[in-house]
Amino acid sequence: MCITTPRTPLTFGWFLNFMPPAWNGPWRSNHRDRWTDGDFYVDVARQLEAACIDFMLLEDSVMVPDTYGGTMEAELTYTTRAPKGDPLPLIPKLARATSHIGFAATMSTSLYPPFMLARLLTTLDHITHGRVAWNLVTSAEDRAAQNFGKAGLPSHAERYERADEYAALVKQLWNSWDEGALVMDRTEGRYVDHTKVHPINFEGQFHSSRGPLNTLPGPQRQPLIFQAGSSPAGRDLAAKHAEVVLASMKGVDQMKAFRDDIRARAAAAGRDPDSIKVLYLIQPIIAETEEEAQLRAARAYAPTDDNVIARLVHMSSGDVDFSQFDLDAPLPDDIETNGIKSGIDNLRRVAAGKTLREAAASRMEAVSLVGTAESVADQIDAVVAEVGGDGFIFFGGGGGKLSRHYVAEITEGLMPALQDRGLARTHYPADTLRNSIFPTATTNALEPTR
Amino acid sequence: MTNPFHLGWFMSFRPPAFPDQWVGADAEEWTDGRYYEDFARSLERAKFDYIMIEDSSMVPDAYAGNSEVDLKHALYAPKHDPMALASLMADVTSRLGIVATGSSTFYPPYLLARTMSTLDHLSRGRMGWNVVTSSEDRAAQNYGIDRLPEHDERYDRADEFVDLVSQLWNSWEEGAEVQNRETGEFADHTKVHPIDFQGTYYDSRGPLNLPRSPQGRPVICQAGGSERGRRFGATHADTIIASAHGVEAMKAYRDSVRQHLVDVGRDPDSCKVLFVVSPIVAETEAAAQARYTAAWAPSDRRVEAALGHISAYTENDMSVYDWDQPVEELSTNGHQSTLAMFMKRAEGGKTLREVASAWSIGCLDLVGTPTTVADQMEKAMDYVGGDGFLISGASNRRFITEITDGLVPELQRRGLTRREYTHPTFRDNLLSF
Repeated sequence: MCITTPRTPLTFGWFLNFMPPAWNGPWRSNHRDRWTDGDFYVDVARQLEAACIDFMLLEDSVMVPDTYGGTMEAELTYTTRAPKGDPLPLIPKLARATSHIGFAATMSTSLYPPFMLARLLTTLDHITHGRVAWNLVTSAEDRAAQNFGKAGLPSHAERYERADEYAALVKQLWNSWDEGALVMDRTEGRYVDHTKVHPINFEGQFHSSRGPLNTLPGPQRQPLIFQAGSSPAGRDLAAKHAEVVLASMKGVDQMKAFRDDIRARAAAAGRDPDSIKVLYLIQPIIAETEEEAQLRAARAYAPTDDNVIARLVHMSSGDVDFSQFDLDAPLPDDIETNGIKSGIDNLRRVAAGKTLREAAASRMEAVSLVGTAESVADQIDAVVAEVGGDGFIFFGGGGGKLSRHYVAEITEGLMPALQDRGLARTHYPADTLRNSIFPTATTNALEPTR
Repeated sequence: MTNPFHLGWFMSFRPPAFPDQWVGADAEEWTDGRYYEDFARSLERAKFDYIMIEDSSMVPDAYAGNSEVDLKHALYAPKHDPMALASLMADVTSRLGIVATGSSTFYPPYLLARTMSTLDHLSRGRMGWNVVTSSEDRAAQNYGIDRLPEHDERYDRADEFVDLVSQLWNSWEEGAEVQNRETGEFADHTKVHPIDFQGTYYDSRGPLNLPRSPQGRPVICQAGGSERGRRFGATHADTIIASAHGVEAMKAYRDSVRQHLVDVGRDPDSCKVLFVVSPIVAETEAAAQARYTAAWAPSDRRVEAALGHISAYTENDMSVYDWDQPVEELSTNGHQSTLAMFMKRAEGGKTLREVASAWSIGCLDLVGTPTTVADQMEKAMDYVGGDGFLISGASNRRFITEITDGLVPELQRRGLTRREYTHPTFRDNLLSF
């Protein structure tokens, strides 16, 4: 029984990727030998849909990192970023097994041809009946660029300039077919009215495309755009193009400041601030009792070699080799990166006065949620009261890799407690992801950038 | 005794045969892929080797300088991304091979290699890649390229592209994924290798960020009929899609492919040549003949659609010619062999209307009952030597059923086509006879 309250439910998503599920912990997936067939993720999608989670965000990267120690060995032991399957072909399979949950596909503006991206997302919009979104990333690793035949990535600033132009191009392609272009006039034998289909003749500084797109407009026409960059350039890009922003700020003050900043930037860019949802990454640890939950959190974040190295391998995906630093000394002050700037900033934030070992074992997410389902739901309630946030994105497996066990703790433990408080949905309110997340849709987001 | 032969189906992710009869709600609902899921299930029921999803990336406007004819008849456009459809089809079948078209001119090689490898994993070893070089400047312009490279250079690039992609597929050795719980090692890094590929046209460092797929290398399919295209096919392909008019031309084509295979040091039986046909199958000979006559009547609608197609293929504006005058000489940087076949049919002063209304990429006119069409196919294969047929034609449930539940059972009864899949993966089935 759900208690009906007049509160507006928050938006909830789950951040994951097409990677091996837990294979070496206490809750191993029995799909671990054949995780690449995608069946494990079908089960997860169903679990999430049963709990009315709005979307799965399918993160992506395109390399096997070898920054840590100058070899792929550590990466292929701890599997922090590789192996990883292409999330795009996984989406039709997940869509067949579900009917409401959305799928945000990560695609890089540095690596995908814009026409191909626009066309594939529209194709998926049709196949999912309007449940696809684009998680716009600019890619942060030279190794990824090298797989695509480039010596390295453009500078951080240029990547964002390119991404801005790229998003404008893609939106024009999505709007290259007018409403009503599909006429299906059987008498005249006319399928499409060509006067409603237009070349875009886009000539930018970095990209060009003639258009029109060769697909019928999808149910959402423009899939929702997600974005996660938190540097100033990333925030401006989000304020201009994104409808869902992923944030990994630490602590309620920063969470609030970040959301206020994004909303101010959106307003400055001429958008309604309510046309953007700011969602914070969380990884709650939930158990039957407070004590048990605390014990599990202590285990998951103990500064053991395994925990610490796994984190540092993950941090080393860009151009900084963390194996060179002394684990039992503070983090050096002079680390420079052209990669994920906010990642190092976050580490530095938690590292103040700590050794690298202690810092690397720390929890990095917005708020460290530990407790019973009821107490964690109360903590979330309190955070929302203070931050005024729009929702949350779960990720990972509570200190380890994803398992059905962890997913169930959230979907069958925490979500019902949030639903009881009116903080989470008990049904999907609309037929498309866009309308589900923005039930009173602003048209702002649908206007093409001409 | 004719040897058993293979069956494939050539289609694209586009509207069914609008505005024909026998197309109902699918005319609008095809975009969600459910029509195509049923399509794939039907082919698996009839034990086809594969379904091949053709592709192109443009809304043509060569005919009369606008897109009216193309969009009116839904010729090239709309057409949706075949990679997404391949995933759906894989999910509703368990043995059928699924071939998706990917252009070596438009795809970044690493992206193509990874998407294909992922699909091979998802389908548990049933994926194929139809390698095309793309032949239209309009498509290139959507990708920010003004003009395509010359025909032969496109194949030079494609050779290098396939080499690169194959090296990425081999960058994880068999058995690299160990999942050793005692050492905590997921994969043995000594079995995962950068490829450091540096070519004339493409570079890639590698390795792929995904373990080796069930087939290692998805089945390679290819269709270029020019001399350069055939050499490319002989070098890389496991199956070749052929369009040649009449059994003599079919035999010559297959013999030429087999000679090319020998020339590059391959076993000629390691690549299956499938010939495009659109059988018209009905309950009686008379009914089949009547449908054939109606289908090929030189109506304005048929001529316009055919010329729209030829215009898009070759980027020549066919609207400027008088339909009732002999055909003039044409040239293209696009589909050279297709245009050559068109011009060949115009020999002897035939009018554009006559040639256009009779134009198809089909190899044989197969018309009759299941029994008599099976006779014709048997006889053709007997003469040509192999390796099978690729069905194409009006996309609707009726036509699919006529083939899968009318013609194929007759072929199976004669032992001419597959009755059971004998292997779990696509390539093993394809090469099993």
